[in-house]
Amino acid sequence: MSRDALQESLSAVMDNEADELELRRVLNAFDDAETRDTWSRYQVARAVMHKDLLIPRLDIAAAVSAALADEAVPAKAARGPWRSLGRLAVAASVTVAVLAGVRLYNQDEIAGAELAQQTQQPVMAGPQVKGPAVLAGYKESADTTGPMANGVLQGQSGWQDQRLPGYLRQHAQESALKGTESALPYARAASLENR
Amino acid sequence: MRAIPLLTLLLSGWFALPAHADEAQDWLTRLGRAEQQQSFQGTFVYERNGSFSTHDIWHRVQDGQVRERLLQLDGSAQEVVRLDGRTQCVSGTLVAGLGNSRDAPSRALDPQKLNQFYELAVIGKSRVAGRNAVIVSITPRDQYRYGFELHLDRETALPLKSLLLNDQGQLLERFQFTRLNTSVVPDDRELQPSNDCTPIAVANSKAPEVQSTETWHMEWLPPGFQLTNTSARKDTQTKATVDSLMYEDGLARFSVFLEPISDASVTETRTQLGPTVAVSRRLNTVDGEMMVTVVGEIPIGTAERIALSVRGEKKPAAQP
Repeated sequence: MSRDALQESLSAVMDNEADELELRRVLNAFDDAETRDTWSRYQVARAVMHKDLLIPRLDIAAAVSAALADEAVPAKAARGPWRSLGRLAVAASVTVAVLAGVRLYNQDEIAGAELAQQTQQPVMAGPQVKGPAVLAGYKESADTTGPMANGVLQGQSGWQDQRLPGYLRQHAQESALKGTESALPYARAASLENR
Repeated sequence: MRAIPLLTLLLSGWFALPAHADEAQDWLTRLGRAEQQQSFQGTFVYERNGSFSTHDIWHRVQDGQVRERLLQLDGSAQEVVRLDGRTQCVSGTLVAGLGNSRDAPSRALDPQKLNQFYELAVIGKSRVAGRNAVIVSITPRDQYRYGFELHLDRETALPLKSLLLNDQGQLLERFQFTRLNTSVVPDDRELQPSNDCTPIAVANSKAPEVQSTETWHMEWLPPGFQLTNTSARKDTQTKATVDSLMYEDGLARFSVFLEPISDASVTETRTQLGPTVAVSRRLNTVDGEMMVTVVGEIPIGTAERIALSVRGEKKPAAQP
């Protein structure tokens, strides 16, 4: 298989656009150190393009293969019940390697999300100024609205209708009674009464 | 050996906290002190999904006493007067038996504790109510709570603006001063409650305290949340005993309500009102079926998980 075709497949996998065949091709070629090198270069390039934080290069695939290689030897030699125990050990070590990788990636994701949040802030305040005076403010959280728009239970009847407003009020007032930190809990409680 | 670089990578995540985290802690410490030391008066707005209101506030620190009065300027004249953090009177409908709960000392903002569950950082400066402000972001370290963005007055560290944000950075509520005066101390007349303000003592005596028959515990709680209050009251309509428990992590709060239900048609529900979420679920106990309702300023997923983890236990015979 030509180098170019492989690189094209790699790129497709990276962009999540690879078909079954391409994925197989890449997986087969993945034992090759050069291919893995290309892969991690692509990762770095992609991270730069997306302005993600750069993480130090970490070859999880290699780590997993190595862990397998290390563990598999005693497992093969073992007989009877020990054999399955050995398998368990392999599975465990692979899990650990994968979990460690996932944890790393998650951290990266969180950091990225924070960045996104910070850059978003001016945008968030934007509609307030540009858009129609009051309504703009409500748009932002409009999609999180439940059936309780405008503080009134809508489309629900019976138990919830009677009990929920009372619970909301009790929670708000109890917070307000306790809270000395600011006027915020008071304001929340007051806003519940504005119907 | 391979584990070592991995481990250092993981650990470096914790140590790589931005240097201005300390600065943010200092600002929050100043904020905690400001309300105990600084007299002020001003006007603020509060906005959440479906509600926008304006309020006046008078806050006086004199002879070691903190006296505060809040009054809503639009719609009904909601009013609260507080003395040293204890509510003296409220207007409007107070939930019967509310003040029965023992006056747990309200805890001051503790940046050290907050730092365990939130990432604190100074992220810039702004201008609010004609005053220069510093922006402190309080970002949760897990997915179980919301984040805040506080704009603190550069001169006094009073909160000029407070935004509650969900994990996608969407605004859930806004609290913002439009006018703040820290140079004129409010006088007695301004701090005097109006006639519509019902003293707490009177409101309390109407609802005698009741004993709950079960003890409740949560099999799972989001890390850092502690029980700060439990109470039981008899509902005036249904005559049923409603137990309530309140938890907080130093910033966010939620309440758990437990009430017996007899009606089989009652459905479970989940709903969101601005920053506040309400999730209710059925629970089978030895006493029969109960409805568990979690209400608080927490993500809906957290509330759902808490509602699922409530367990009840029959109390040994009531104490004489």
